[in-house]
Amino acid sequence: MADTQIAPEPGTRAGAGPGGPRAARRKGLSERALARVFVAPSVLLMALVALFPVIWAIVISLFLYTRRQQTGFGGLENYTDALTSGRFWDSVWFTFVFTVSSVTFEFLIGLGFALLMNQAFRGRGITRAAILVPWVIPTVIAAQMWFFMFNVTPGFINNLLGLGNFNWLGQPGWPIFAVVFADVWKTAPFVALLLLAGLQTIPGDVYESARVDNAGMFQRFWFITMPLLKPAILVALLFRTVDALRVYDLPAVMTQGAFGTESLAILVREFVVRTPNPGFGAALSTLTFILVLGIGMIFVTLLGRDLVIGTEGEE
Amino acid sequence: MSDTAPAPVEEVTRRGQARKNRRQGGVVEQRSTLQVWGKSALLGVILLWCLFPFFWLIMTSLKMGDRALNSPNLFQGPFGLQNYEAVFGQNFHLNLRNSFVIAGATTIICIVVGSLTAYAIARLPLKRKILLLSGVLAVSLFPPVALVPPLYELWRNLGLLNTWEGLYIPYTAFTLPLTIFILMTFYASIPKDLEEAARVDGATPFQAFLRVILPLAAPGVFAAAIIIFVLSWNEFLLANTFAPRNAEIAQTVPVAIAAFTGAVPFQRPIGTITAACVIVTIPMIIIALIFQKRIVAGLTAGSVKG
Repeated sequence: MADTQIAPEPGTRAGAGPGGPRAARRKGLSERALARVFVAPSVLLMALVALFPVIWAIVISLFLYTRRQQTGFGGLENYTDALTSGRFWDSVWFTFVFTVSSVTFEFLIGLGFALLMNQAFRGRGITRAAILVPWVIPTVIAAQMWFFMFNVTPGFINNLLGLGNFNWLGQPGWPIFAVVFADVWKTAPFVALLLLAGLQTIPGDVYESARVDNAGMFQRFWFITMPLLKPAILVALLFRTVDALRVYDLPAVMTQGAFGTESLAILVREFVVRTPNPGFGAALSTLTFILVLGIGMIFVTLLGRDLVIGTEGEE
Repeated sequence: MSDTAPAPVEEVTRRGQARKNRRQGGVVEQRSTLQVWGKSALLGVILLWCLFPFFWLIMTSLKMGDRALNSPNLFQGPFGLQNYEAVFGQNFHLNLRNSFVIAGATTIICIVVGSLTAYAIARLPLKRKILLLSGVLAVSLFPPVALVPPLYELWRNLGLLNTWEGLYIPYTAFTLPLTIFILMTFYASIPKDLEEAARVDGATPFQAFLRVILPLAAPGVFAAAIIIFVLSWNEFLLANTFAPRNAEIAQTVPVAIAAFTGAVPFQRPIGTITAACVIVTIPMIIIALIFQKRIVAGLTAGSVKG
């Protein structure tokens, strides 16, 4: 951010560019026109590749298919099939349990990390660098790594905890624990990073005056840190929740969706690739879309429009 | 914008705190040095959390032979580079090439398209700005899986399955919102007088953007570029659906790592997989360490804005 200090230099140079400034002025676009030209490619790209497919999925979902062959118009049949199938609700359940537990642990551990990093003086630089390592590692690699660590052979975690041949990944009930653990490992540092940025915007003199008023450590945390950190917390929770609801990589690699770890994303992909049924798959993806976007929107409303849009929106 | 300038603020409060501690003298001073060391020791927990699994990965990848690989003891040898040779025997360099091209193309398109849009939103007079921003935010909340069925059908008809284009086009659409949010923050932190000065000197609005603002926003653009590259390099769902096989064509690194097969069927080849993971991870960790400050600034800028 310090880079902005070198600002004046190029500014003085720009006017003397080649081509003669006056001629260029007559040819140049007005600000309004330029704004439209600048925005157009993004809008076009997002509309074509994100918005259009979602709408088209709704159209596909109204038709019936046998494998990839369209066999007729089915109306809402695919939706009633999806909503009455146990498999759909199982994956909704898994996705929700995964989201709630991983976001909760990520938040608590991330907040702990952020508070520590905000206070400790020595070794802060190296910690800040290390905290990026789990973020930068591809999720698939994290998944493979934790798969092998939890697996019976070589049994690293079992050995560490003295559990013998406990089968974390191969029996009902336990794989979700391993999947949540891997996710918490990978993203708690990221949450810490976001919260640390929030902590650093809290001015130190607020704490000073609290100390003068004899506020204890816990009081300072609860009545100063938490309220002032609230915007950063909400943003972190929004990002993590929406991201966790999309979960695919971890269960896909660690369990292939077995033993009750089939997330919504895995389920949708099954009906696109493994047992192709575009109509049913599109119905499932539309339901997922509504669910995830709906929850995201609830968060955004909570956040308040002003925080999201920022001050630029007012102009 | 102050949210993204952690370093100086932190420096000041830190110094202030140290001064205060010194003023308190005697017993309190001793306790606070103890506290300082205690807190630093707790940082060790964070370091262990972040780095130990990676250490485990390296040690495992260097083990040779079934007995060593199946032993939970990290230091059970023999050690050697056998697993690494096996990785490249499986065309892994082609996966690396595919991922490089796809992530690179995504980054370039995103930066070009996104920096224009971010500038227009941050600085130029634009109608329905709030509507546009809400739209961008909505796209950033889209679950990618919602695109899987329709895009699969579309790509199948257009012949884009198993191609580079089939992947970097959707990646671009999905990383654009983040790019726009990050760059908006950086543009907004550049003083307005600079453009006005350029305008007074006779530059058109476009020239002012290209010659004055863009060079100043370079650090932000760079931060955004790294983050986009990492995100598209790591993507798995679309890559695994649209290009699941064939390293020769478009299979990316994560897909290959998830799909490695060994000599024994139904058993994951731990040696080859961990070696491939190390090969991919080491350059990424180096990048993360070198550009640490930029990445952190970019990530927080992107999220503070939503």
